[in-house]
Formats: sequence, structure tokens, C-alpha cells
Amino acid sequence: MTLSCHDTAEHIYATGLRNQWHPVVPSSFVAPGALRKVTALGEQWLLFRRADGTLAMLDDRCPHRGAPLSLGKHLGDRVACWYHGVEVTTDGTVCAVPGLPGCNLEGKKLVTSLPVQEAGGAILAYFGDEEHPEPAELTLPGPLTDPGTDAFLCYAEWNVPWRYAVENLLDPMHGAFLHHESHSMYDGDTTAKFRIRETDRGYFFEKTDQRGVNFDWVELCRTGVDWVDLEIPYPPSGGPGGPFGIVGMVCPVDERRCGVFFWRYRRVQDWQRDTWRFLYRTLIEQRHWEVLEQDRVMLEALPADADQRENLYQHDLGVVRLRRLFRADAEAQHH
Amino acid sequence: MPDATWPYLDAHQSRTHEPTPYEDKLAATLEEVFTEDGHELTDVIRGLNARQVHAPDGAPWTEESFRAEMHRLGA
Repeated sequence: MTLSCHDTAEHIYATGLRNQWHPVVPSSFVAPGALRKVTALGEQWLLFRRADGTLAMLDDRCPHRGAPLSLGKHLGDRVACWYHGVEVTTDGTVCAVPGLPGCNLEGKKLVTSLPVQEAGGAILAYFGDEEHPEPAELTLPGPLTDPGTDAFLCYAEWNVPWRYAVENLLDPMHGAFLHHESHSMYDGDTTAKFRIRETDRGYFFEKTDQRGVNFDWVELCRTGVDWVDLEIPYPPSGGPGGPFGIVGMVCPVDERRCGVFFWRYRRVQDWQRDTWRFLYRTLIEQRHWEVLEQDRVMLEALPADADQRENLYQHDLGVVRLRRLFRADAEAQHH
Repeated sequence: MPDATWPYLDAHQSRTHEPTPYEDKLAATLEEVFTEDGHELTDVIRGLNARQVHAPDGAPWTEESFRAEMHRLGA
């Protein structure tokens, strides 16, 4: 097995929480009949898609001598390691050892195969440790499954620890400063009071004195996968449909890197939906990208020990609560 | 083959093609109409026609032609 119960809590906190689902890469990164190597939770994995679209995710390690299976050959329903031709099926079973037919490796399930699901154009996988191989119940974010809500996925890879990317989302006040020169977050007060409001799936962190003007609230949701929901108003140029929302998820790649998944969504139908999608593709996506780049530049510039030498104030309650939850999980997952 | 490119940073992930000059002009005019004229379909048709931005067939926009064109460009 790849993810061990014996890792330290520090290692788990640094490389991503176990026993839950995480996004991995966009679905489009693995074409039918293709292989793709990915790193997630500090480990190497192989995404394998059959010609019919069925997806599998395997530990990227041949059970024979440890060569990366991602260097191997896609044989339709299995992968053949390039080194000695050992064949592994999508459930992780060695189905042939061409160099020594009848070898006792044949028929054994020696490679970890993670449960996968695809939603909203992204691949999600369940990363259980040795004691929790069965996937946790997964409830997908409502905005990705509700009819009447339309979403575009934006995926980006940042040289940022995963938790800094999540913390950034639990810090709405940065919108009024970092994103002041943007198409959607130029307005509203630059001072605010915040409160935490518990929900049955996480908590809201919200301004008490302003709503619907800037990035004024965020909800952390823990529904088998960790995600945030938030809302930002469009200027009148965005047309009908009101504010746009963001469902955000972060893939812990390794201790220093993450993949960020932002679904920009809007509750629009009919011609309003089509018009938003046209404007989004033509003009708005570029503006959203520029906002996201401001986050990337700032977060990549944070020193590695940023969270060790801080002086927090009231606006950081959402971040403090987040760290407490994640720390507690990491401690509980370490045995 | 595995793709080892890092980082993936692509500003345009929703487009199927670079916008044509016609699409650029239509989008910019729509933003202007939404800002200055309103968000109702009648506002949009009136605003586009008042600005001499025509439907693909060169005719003034109608609700039907606008819906059809947005569906083509935005579906």
C-alpha cells in the first residue's frame, strides 16, 4: 500500500489528509486510451483510461521491481511495465508475467487501485490509508450537480502548499486588497467584522456588516471531499443572472505544490445561460484568470515558514478554525 | 505517454477557438448594452440594433435570431 497509517501527523498535514476524496486533475487530461502520470498526496500515481472512457488510478509502481507503470504500454484493459513486461489490470492485479508464465505473482492484487469518480470535468479519487481502504461517502457540491446552475472549471498548478491555497479561500478580506484592481472585487468596505457560523457540513466565515458587494462570505464544506462555496457579484456588464459563485477545491500534490480547482458557476438558464457562456469564453474568463494570478503570485511568494511566524487578528478566525480542523484530522490519522 | 509538464497555467480553458473579430465585437457590445441599457431581452435586442451591430445574416436582431446565435456561441 502507498498511504501508510504510520506516517507522522506532520507528514499528513504537509501532504494532504487521508481517508477522504480529493480532486486530482481535469478529466480532459486523460484521453480515452491514454495513460497519465500524476503526483498527489506526495505519491506517484498512474491514471489509466480505457477506450470506452472507464478510468482507473493505480500506484505508479510495478510490483516486480518498482519501475513506473506510467512509462509502460497501454494495452486496452491493462498496462504492461516497460521494464520486464509485467501486466497489471485496472484493479491492480498482476495478470501476466510474460518472462515467466505461471510465476506466482500472477493473479495477485499487488498494486493499490484508488476508487475514482468524475464530476464537473474533474477526476476525484479516494485516498484511504491501510485501515480505511473503502471509500468514504461522497456528496458532490450542489452547484456542480444542480440543474439550473451552469459551471466552467478552471484548473491551475501552483507552487504553494495545499493548505495555504485553502487558507486563502477562508480569508475573504484579501479580496478588498489583493484583488482591488479587478473586474469584480473593486467595491465595498476595506474594514469588516467577521463571524463564524457552524453548519452541519462545515462552517461559514462571513462579514457581519456587508453582503453581496465583494468577496463577503465563504462556506467550508466537508462532504467526503473538502470544498468551499463563495459568491462574488458581477458588475452590470456581466448581464442577467446575478452574482457568480465559486466552488473551490485543492489537490495536495506534495509538500510544496498543489492543484487548484475553481468552478465558476452561475444560476442561469435559457438565453441568459448561453449569453453568460459566450461572454465568459470571449471576455470574462481572461479577467477571472488575472484575479487568480494575483493569488498565485502572492501565495507563491509566501516564505515556507509563513504560518510559523504570524500575528493574526480578527479577520483570521476562519483560517484558525480551518487549521484546527485539519490538524485534528492529521493527528487522528497518524497511529 | 505521460505528460510531465508543470505547472499547467492556461488562461483560456473554456474556449474551443480564438474568438473571431465578429465575436469580439458582439461580446464587447453586449457588455456595453448590459451596462447602459439593462438586462431584459428586449433591452438587449434594442441595444444591439441601436448600435448597428447586426445579426450574422446582416439583418437587425430579433429575439429569435439572438437566442439562436447565443445558443450557437454559448451552448
